[in-house]
Amino acid sequence: MLVCNAFINAQTFIFLVMHLTGIVVPFIFLLLVNWCFARPLYPLPSRRNDRNRRPLQTFRPYNVAHRGSNGEIPEESAASYMKAIEEGADFIEADILATKDGVLICSHDVNLDDTTDIHDHKEFADRKRTYEVQAVNITGYFSVDFTLEELKSLRLKQRYPFRDQQYNGMYSIITFEEFISIALDAPRVVGIYPEIKNPVFINQRVKWSGGKKYEDKFVETLKKYGYRGSYMSKEWLKQPAFIQSFAPASLIYISKQTNIPKVFLIDDVNIPTQDTNQSYQEITSDKYLDFIKEYVVGIGPWKDNLVPVSGNYLETPSDLVARAHVRNLQVHPYTFRNENQFLHFNFSEDPYKEYDYWINKVGVDGLFTDFAGSLHQFQEWTNPLSSGEEDAHKLLDRIASMISKFKHA
Amino acid sequence: MLFLVGCSSRSLYPLPNRRHNGNRQPLQTFRPYNIAHRGSNGEIPEETTAAYKRAIEEGTDFIETDILASKDGVLISFHDVCLDDTTDIAEHEEFINRKRTYEVQGSNVTGYFVVDFTLKELKSLRVKQRYPFRDQQYNGKFSIITFEEFISIALDADRIVGIYPEMKNPVFINQRVKWPGGKKFEDKFVEILKKYRYRGSYMSKEWLKQPAFIQSFAPTSLLYISNQTDLPKILLIDDVNMPTQDTNQSYWEITSDKYLDFIKEYIVGIGPWKDTLVTASDNYLRKPTDLVARAHARNLQVHPYTFRNENKFLHFNFSQDPYKEFDYWINKIGVDGLFTDFTGSLHQFQEWTSPLSTGEEDANKLLDKIVFMISKFKTK
Repeated sequence: MLVCNAFINAQTFIFLVMHLTGIVVPFIFLLLVNWCFARPLYPLPSRRNDRNRRPLQTFRPYNVAHRGSNGEIPEESAASYMKAIEEGADFIEADILATKDGVLICSHDVNLDDTTDIHDHKEFADRKRTYEVQAVNITGYFSVDFTLEELKSLRLKQRYPFRDQQYNGMYSIITFEEFISIALDAPRVVGIYPEIKNPVFINQRVKWSGGKKYEDKFVETLKKYGYRGSYMSKEWLKQPAFIQSFAPASLIYISKQTNIPKVFLIDDVNIPTQDTNQSYQEITSDKYLDFIKEYVVGIGPWKDNLVPVSGNYLETPSDLVARAHVRNLQVHPYTFRNENQFLHFNFSEDPYKEYDYWINKVGVDGLFTDFAGSLHQFQEWTNPLSSGEEDAHKLLDRIASMISKFKHA
Repeated sequence: MLFLVGCSSRSLYPLPNRRHNGNRQPLQTFRPYNIAHRGSNGEIPEETTAAYKRAIEEGTDFIETDILASKDGVLISFHDVCLDDTTDIAEHEEFINRKRTYEVQGSNVTGYFVVDFTLKELKSLRVKQRYPFRDQQYNGKFSIITFEEFISIALDADRIVGIYPEMKNPVFINQRVKWPGGKKFEDKFVEILKKYRYRGSYMSKEWLKQPAFIQSFAPTSLLYISNQTDLPKILLIDDVNMPTQDTNQSYWEITSDKYLDFIKEYIVGIGPWKDTLVTASDNYLRKPTDLVARAHARNLQVHPYTFRNENKFLHFNFSQDPYKEFDYWINKIGVDGLFTDFTGSLHQFQEWTSPLSTGEEDANKLLDKIVFMISKFKTK
């Protein structure tokens, strides 16, 4: 009996295996296919389709959230970017550096000392180094000496002591890809504005396989997430992006790889470019602008060079904006901050007066600001968005309230 | 004839063409009052002609001042009892021997006191910007002005601008300065207002022509003058640990229901320090207290002090943005007036969020706006 049962069971077993194989093998094949093609951080379908997300506004100067809403939340953290989006920013801006193991991350300084709790991490005490960065010796803990895993163990803090410290220790450094996901996940179309940051230094310290450089990995990441298209093209409007850098050679290098619009950042008058060692005078000359305009759609100067300052008062504007505009180059100055120590006396300690001057008097095309919420508020009060049905009701309400004031006259 | 003219003429007599009902734009009364605290002292040294004119230019509803007295009994616009922080007194060697120590509101204060200088001597000084982080370029340019000069600035304005003078440190002043005929500081204060025809209860016809609020931290001074003028009065309320200088009553007592019921017969409103209306911790505003509600329930206005643009004065709820602070106090708390060092910013905020409407000029603007709004729909 037992032998019979065993035999029957064996037969059943073989029968089952043969049938299951028919199912299992294709299943395994499908799994393999999925693994090969799956993208990390694949956004949920309900959020990625053209689902009538409110488009990017293009009728007034761009509100660029410089390092996120870092006036309120530590810079370049997920929280500060999400706050910026909540507050109405058009673009979220990030500085891209690289880790020891070649992962692109969002971080402004080459060293970790001012914006992380690196000094609380005894396990990294021996990583302190001195490197030459743009001809200056800097001593500290450099992100290029840490793997991503190690960097992720650190916590961000607010750089400025006069800003809110309550979020110190809560957030970690994010990668370029995580930054991109925040933008793509937003409930409306939000652009990204990443910077090829310190490429000379990065390429000295970090090597990638296949002879690839930092700039190659940068563009690769953008392409992976579908960023493409020249300024104002259909593809670009779906996923707006500007690529910025202080290094002209990097911008020219990637111009063959992508037609995403590029912006040439211009440092202070005494700082030469890190890659071509050209002076401020040279790169803002007519000749140079004529040259670079074939590669960039705009420039990003330090605002105190656009309008010089003396005695903490603005003087006569330089002609740089005019010369840029005449070449159809946009001007996106940096950086606008609400705190009175950053406001020249013309503005009566009022950040809105500063926005008014730059937008309406100087006529810039975009603004890097630490306070995207304030800029958005200013723009909504002085040059509001109009988006269809919602406004029809508001329109009627407003007309009614305006006419009612006359009733009393 | 000269004698008659000499007796009857008024000093600083305003030019006739500016004083008649010249169809000046009236005081706005539909949104909270914009009170230029010591003038536009965010930009120009406090309590100077220039600071007040700037405030008027920037759209303020009321110009505010603190009234003290000189040694010879002239009422002047000046905030501190000492000259040290806002004038160049330290550079005047001729006055070096005037340094004194007096007790003021329970504390010993050492410095050069206004009550030890005649008007002429005070006029030889030059005012400077109190805060080092504000514009210093006007230091040394302006002098101290008198109460009468302050009033003339308001009356001379090309629209109706109210005044908001404070009977400042009356206890101290009355100790140090004597007037003939047994008159006190409060008497002289009201005398000057009457001289320039300031009168009328709140929102009366006379009041709207020349609006004014009288403010003081000293309740007895407000009660004392209530027989002399029906101009509306505001009781200022200091921080929670400061008792009143004249009646030595605590914050808790003067903000109690019982006291509010008593004082409301004499005043139209209270002027508290804003951090006592909504408590703050770790530089964040927490829950509002019930003081505003209890004041409003008694038909008392609330005019908190003082709003300043600089981030060091802004709690973190406001993202270093003074407009967010205005928005909170006006729209969430619902105050009736705001003392601000930056009247231009407050005016801008109010114009953006609850603009003035004044008749004909607006009819055209109205049509323009409607056309503009509809045009946005056309292009869809």
